[in-house]
Amino acid sequence: MTRPPDLIYAVDEHPPWAILVVSAFQHIGLMAITLIFPIIIAREANLSGTQFLDLVSLSMLGLGVATVCFCIRSRFIGSGYLCGAAYTAIFLGPSLFALRQGGLALVFGMTVVGGVVQVVVAPLLRRLRALLPSEIAGLVIAVVGLSLAGLGVRYGLGINAQQQEINPDYVIVAGISLAIMIVLNIWSKGYGRMFCVLIGMMVGYAGSAVLGIFDLAGIVPEGGLSVVRLPRLEHVGWSFDLVLVPPFAVASLAATLRAMGDVSNAQRINDADWVRPNFASLAGGVSANGVAVMFCGLVGSCGINTYSSSIGLSGATGVTSRSIGYAIGLGFCALAFIPPTAVALAAMPLPVMGAALFFTAAFVFTSGLQMITARMLDARKTLVIGFSFAMAVMADLYHEALMGVPIVLQPIFGNSLVLGTVCAVVLNLIMRIGVRQRASIELAPGRINREAVEQFLSEQGARWAARRDVIRRAIFGVVQVLEVVGDPPGGVEVEASFDEFNLDVRIRYVGAPLNIPERKPTPQEIVASEDGERLLAGYLLRQSADRINARGTGASVEMTLHYDH
Amino acid sequence: MNSLSIGETHAGNVCIVTLSGRIDSSNANDVMAELTRLISSGEKSILVDLSAVLYLTSAAFRALLVATGKAKQQAANFALCSLAGQVRELFEMGGLLELFAIHNSREEALKQLGGPILRAP
Repeated sequence: MTRPPDLIYAVDEHPPWAILVVSAFQHIGLMAITLIFPIIIAREANLSGTQFLDLVSLSMLGLGVATVCFCIRSRFIGSGYLCGAAYTAIFLGPSLFALRQGGLALVFGMTVVGGVVQVVVAPLLRRLRALLPSEIAGLVIAVVGLSLAGLGVRYGLGINAQQQEINPDYVIVAGISLAIMIVLNIWSKGYGRMFCVLIGMMVGYAGSAVLGIFDLAGIVPEGGLSVVRLPRLEHVGWSFDLVLVPPFAVASLAATLRAMGDVSNAQRINDADWVRPNFASLAGGVSANGVAVMFCGLVGSCGINTYSSSIGLSGATGVTSRSIGYAIGLGFCALAFIPPTAVALAAMPLPVMGAALFFTAAFVFTSGLQMITARMLDARKTLVIGFSFAMAVMADLYHEALMGVPIVLQPIFGNSLVLGTVCAVVLNLIMRIGVRQRASIELAPGRINREAVEQFLSEQGARWAARRDVIRRAIFGVVQVLEVVGDPPGGVEVEASFDEFNLDVRIRYVGAPLNIPERKPTPQEIVASEDGERLLAGYLLRQSADRINARGTGASVEMTLHYDH
Repeated sequence: MNSLSIGETHAGNVCIVTLSGRIDSSNANDVMAELTRLISSGEKSILVDLSAVLYLTSAAFRALLVATGKAKQQAANFALCSLAGQVRELFEMGGLLELFAIHNSREEALKQLGGPILRAP
């Protein structure tokens, strides 16, 4: 792992206490925006003032526990990276559907089921990587970025399904907040850049108060607020319905992909040499997500997920220390017992939410695009990504029309992220038909042309969408073999075969098999004669390939170089 | 295409050899011959800049090791600098970094070898 130069505090570094606390508070402000989803559930369920406040407080507790689970670095749970939690629109569709079918108890019960699905899937991620490649995780992140931007614009302009007229006061507050975030992020250094979102949000709160948008009265219960209060579980109960398993399982799959994308993004932000995700960290992140979703269901809240905006914020500010994750977790757990903060966060003015969402969406969206394009895109992947992206956008554009599908399919077609994810997974499965491919090149005696080999492997690599670094290693391997083999009388045949996870190159010729030593030759051995150089060549081949094998039949030799992909 | 070119310049008492392109069995002997010639001619500090090398094979490593040995015999300083990308990966992969005196940049190498600091062309 190579530390990127623009990070101020990397994942394993501990910032000073003051920076830790303010950074955590900044994330808390950003994450609190997503309390909108449990609030929507609470409003749809017509909860009373106290029960409403209980649900918000318990949801804050859920954010705290989930963030700690995501950030832990252990063998079974946690991604090991700064990774905030968020309530998400992914579970909103299935949850509202469950609410209509069986009330809050069914929402909470099925949320627990959703968590179980993720816990079961987490250890299988490596085996399922053919079905869930990193470009699909990138697609999910890009769609999340678009959704966040859309939500940000809606909140910033003060429009919704009933109110289509732009509210000028909202535009002023959102505009000022957003401008401050941008100016501080681009043209300032140190504290300004680190706390750009928090400062922008605070100015937005002040502006909202001046313009009368910040209204606490509407959310404070009739009996007033105590400073410290243990949230009650009066509204909590659990029930289950088999019919709701498919939509919640699909939502869990989408949440899993988003968690994979977010954790991959956190890995990429912390490693300048990142080319592929670390699956142990991904599995830890997804199992943490499952545990967190189960916890939220058990305490009476809705489905939770990793938060792309929080990771986008850490990338934008250059502060990615895992310690901040623990501080966020502790902070939310403490704030859950202080009702005035729950009220202040639950009453966050919409234009302030809009500005913060729109700002972080830019980082989330571009991170998704970077993950998609980290691999070469062949026609199959282009169709998978292109169609799925288009479907995700269409789910928002033609929402009303798509909601005409049968009720069981509504949670899929009613949510851009879920539809895009399902489309990508299904198309990816279909496109895997006939994915193993082979190609070969014959090099005639006297015409052992290394440039032809390089061109052959580069072109095949592009056609197969193979990773550039793997193709580079394969080119080195073949050229190195040819260099030692020289110009055998019958020429050389190079055959490459590829699927998503393996690249095998077979080199066939007539002659002596290569010596592939396990021990590195000494400098004296290398310098002494050209035999020493051959030993070094064999050793380099062993080191550069993931597996190497030389097999002789009579005078014919077949060298196989295997590369994991 | 991408054939080897060998450039030579002096910075104070340090002879800087700039290699560009690909080094393999077809041209590694040219590199070895040039470095050996410089050492035999009495150069006391030779710096090989690999920043423009795209690619090398075992033949190139042998050429550099032979030159290192010759320099030691002649009590001359011999160092490499500016290993990047795949070239650095190959050094790391083969566990060959410790066999050479390697500097991150030309400036850093010249500071160590005692020559004046020049900007890389």
